[in-house]
Amino acid sequence: MARKITYQQAINEALAQEMARDSSVIVMGEDNHGGEGSPGEQDAWGGVLGVTKGLYHKFPGRVIDTPISESGFIGAAIGAATNGLRPVAELMFVDFMGVCFDQIFNQAAKFRYMFGGKAETPVVIRTMYGAGFRAAAQHSQCLYSLFTHIPGLKVVMPATPYDAKGMLIQAIRDNDPVIFMEHKMLYTLEGEVPEESYTVPFGEANVVREGDDITVVTLGRMVHLADQAAQAMQKNGVHVEVIDLRTTSPLDEATVLESVERTGRLVVVDESNPRCSMASDIAGLVAQKAFGALKAPIEQVTAPHVPPPFSDALEDIYIPTVADIQGAIGRVMEFRR
Amino acid sequence: MASELTKDRLLQAYRTMRTIRDFEDRLHADFATGEIPGFVHLYAGEEASATGICMHLGKDDYIASTHRGHGHCIAKGVDVMGMMAEIWGKKTGTCRGKGGSMHIADLSLGMMGANGIVGGGGPLICGAALAMKLRKLDDVAICFFGDGASNQGTIFEALNLATVWNLPAIFVAENNGYAEATSSKYSVACDNIADRASAFGMPGVIVDGFDFFAVHEAAGEAIERARKGGGPTLLEVKLSRYYGHFEGDQQKYRAPNEVAHIKEAKDCLTTFAKRVTGAGQLTQAELSAIDAEVAALIEESVRRAKSDPKPAAADLMTDVYVSY
Amino acid sequence: MSYSNPASVGIIANPASGRDIRRLTAKATVFPTIEKANMIQRVLGALGAFGVGHVMMMPDMTGIAAAVERAIVAHRAEAHIPWPAVEFLNMDISESVTDTFNAVDLMVARGVAAIVVLGGDGTHRAVAMRCGDVPITTLSTGTNNAFPDLREATTAGFATGLLASGRVSRAEATLANKRIVVEACGRCEVALVDVCVTRHMHIASRAVWQPEALEELFVAFAEPDSVGLSSIAGLLQPVRRDEPHGLRVRFGRAGGSGVRRFVAPIAPGLLERVSVAKHGLMRPGERVRVVSGAGTVAVDGEREIEFGRGDTVEVMLDSNGPRTIDVARTLHIAATRGLLDV
Repeated sequence: MARKITYQQAINEALAQEMARDSSVIVMGEDNHGGEGSPGEQDAWGGVLGVTKGLYHKFPGRVIDTPISESGFIGAAIGAATNGLRPVAELMFVDFMGVCFDQIFNQAAKFRYMFGGKAETPVVIRTMYGAGFRAAAQHSQCLYSLFTHIPGLKVVMPATPYDAKGMLIQAIRDNDPVIFMEHKMLYTLEGEVPEESYTVPFGEANVVREGDDITVVTLGRMVHLADQAAQAMQKNGVHVEVIDLRTTSPLDEATVLESVERTGRLVVVDESNPRCSMASDIAGLVAQKAFGALKAPIEQVTAPHVPPPFSDALEDIYIPTVADIQGAIGRVMEFRR
Repeated sequence: MASELTKDRLLQAYRTMRTIRDFEDRLHADFATGEIPGFVHLYAGEEASATGICMHLGKDDYIASTHRGHGHCIAKGVDVMGMMAEIWGKKTGTCRGKGGSMHIADLSLGMMGANGIVGGGGPLICGAALAMKLRKLDDVAICFFGDGASNQGTIFEALNLATVWNLPAIFVAENNGYAEATSSKYSVACDNIADRASAFGMPGVIVDGFDFFAVHEAAGEAIERARKGGGPTLLEVKLSRYYGHFEGDQQKYRAPNEVAHIKEAKDCLTTFAKRVTGAGQLTQAELSAIDAEVAALIEESVRRAKSDPKPAAADLMTDVYVSY
Repeated sequence: MSYSNPASVGIIANPASGRDIRRLTAKATVFPTIEKANMIQRVLGALGAFGVGHVMMMPDMTGIAAAVERAIVAHRAEAHIPWPAVEFLNMDISESVTDTFNAVDLMVARGVAAIVVLGGDGTHRAVAMRCGDVPITTLSTGTNNAFPDLREATTAGFATGLLASGRVSRAEATLANKRIVVEACGRCEVALVDVCVTRHMHIASRAVWQPEALEELFVAFAEPDSVGLSSIAGLLQPVRRDEPHGLRVRFGRAGGSGVRRFVAPIAPGLLERVSVAKHGLMRPGERVRVVSGAGTVAVDGEREIEFGRGDTVEVMLDSNGPRTIDVARTLHIAATRGLLDV
């Protein structure tokens, strides 16, 4: 049986293998090793949750702690990418995009187009997203739809340890700016991960579970909840196809459309807020391109249109649940004209 | 004395300043006809700054520019024909007609781009400089920014990073006295941008931006220091723009005769010519020959820009990603 | 004893000092606008304590005057010793040395008892060219100056108040100074400390910090503990400010016969090897012609005049420099005579 490691270890391993392979890969961010300039231990943290732990001593000078200065260091990673490096910058929480978004969406994303195809910006911005950590409104958002909106960015969101490693290696080797979204509740998830280096291509959705009755399109942490819901529905004789988008830009439209053409029913499960979301984007796509196949209205399972709350009593009802997904699947299945 | 200039270098300096001036004067004239799309921000009056600084640079040194970027592009060696075509929105432009005046870039020449975002270049240039340092090169990275950008957080963050990482970065504050229509006397709390340098642990120097020799000498010192690993410097270049914030700006916020007085008393080309001919380093005939060559070059660039093709519809969809 | 109606005092603060290239080439002090404004407040406090009721100040566009105006409002609200009324002179501002000339002319015409000068050698030189026999209180804003005092503004204001209020006489409170007059290319400049002929072709960033560019140096005084070009002369042969003569120095090439090599602090933190071929006294009233071919003349450390082959450069030492307030002596007199008793 193949080796099992956590999502977090898979990310660390991808970084280590790419840094060993290519000396132009550097890692930078707030406390990415931790302890810089301090009297005590270096590599004291290895990132706020320890994801980059150990790289500092393996790759001297290539794991750089930054000031808490997101515009400055995210912009610096982008600038360095135009001058021969392949930086992997860590934006600790995606919520902090607000203090550095110009550098991402006006600079990195647009260089190639504005400069007439004469620029390459091979930068990876790793960032942590998602609710469930009781981290409240400024440390729990998803926000991937905002990045997805911007031409010039690639947005990837691995749901499993296997994808985390393969997609991060792909991201580092990719010559475009990549936003690499890590769900903080997945870090401890274990899964089979090959020891050797491999890549998972972008723009290819993963059919997690095959089924002919209804399609559930989802992404990130919600893949696991959707799969549990599908498993439960199986007992009721409903065969659910679960599609993990894996990347929102590029988007694997073909897999989604082919599935809905076959099932005629769609539920989109998206942890983020509903307006202008991946849920509404996928629903819109299917409504435009597979309208004739639809046997029922599309349902979206998302967080409500409120910021992530703090109290567990509230956060637990904010985040979509397996029961919510089962409920949506049930309603779509039962729809009659 | 590193900064002493040979005759060839003096000729080059004059040619660069003259090219920028003629390029901008021509755009000023052509823009008024309505043929040039969008909007342009002209660098006329500030030529000594870009020229005095970029003459110390090679193609592996990086610069980040501003929305007022034509002068930096020309001084860094970007092709004038391509620039003019770009500004006219033509397929033959430096950026194939996709960038325009505010986004002219040529990374193969270390020109990281004019930038439509005020203060956008600071973090980027720190990255270019970080790459130089980690790759053990003796290149330098220059961030040009204006008095308006001097109040942006990105510039503060970049100044801090540059010292924290001891980067080979030079921050050139081109203080032309106005951020759009707002005076720097009002908007810059400490009045001198150079004063902010000490707060970020780097030297801050003010130079007369009308005087090519002053800029060249000060920049030479800062760049040499950076190349040797001495770290960043903030150079505040005090100068003036002759035209408005953008073309069409009537500059009603400026004093009557303010620009005329500056042109009369301080113009960088006039004072340069007077100095070098007075010192017997160059002759008026040599300068006039350059004037004629530059005039022909600009004329030709406009002729080609007008007749060159526009991008095709299919070009809309290309150059977003390397692969997608 | 009462001292009624003390005369007005002028204050000149140079907005440009403390920011030139020496911040980069040497380890010179950054002298922020706000600290200049703070120094003026300390001077105002000291003048106010002696009943000086009126101060004229040069206006500026860089925030010194604005900061002082804000401070005046704040001071009124909280302090028990009044400051003098501060009048910002009504004059055009050109943001050049002309402002200093114009302000000094106005102050002299209106009969100020003294002018407090905040700046470097260059600022003091500009004031000296126009102040006639009005004494000046010198305050260095920076560490790169030989002429002005590097001292706390409070005590400088204190001594100025003693003079302006008549407690200490002008004869006792002030000193005469020498100066060097330079004539070149139809221009006439005045130096308070030194005139240096350099091989630099252009004025450029003005400062002189490269020893290989030095040709000739003329100094009005030579203090071994000073910083700047005059320190070279000071380390060769000290000359006090109250001696009648100056010193001239001719630089040579390292290794030339009879050339002395030694280390001198030609700028803050910049200890350079200099090569001196010969030196000798400079007599007052004697016109000396410079022998160099082409270059620039630096006056008090700032390149001011570009000259070519065939141009004549002449220098002359005289005793017509400005009168300066001797703060230490003035306060000593005040202390020994009980002039501060209330």
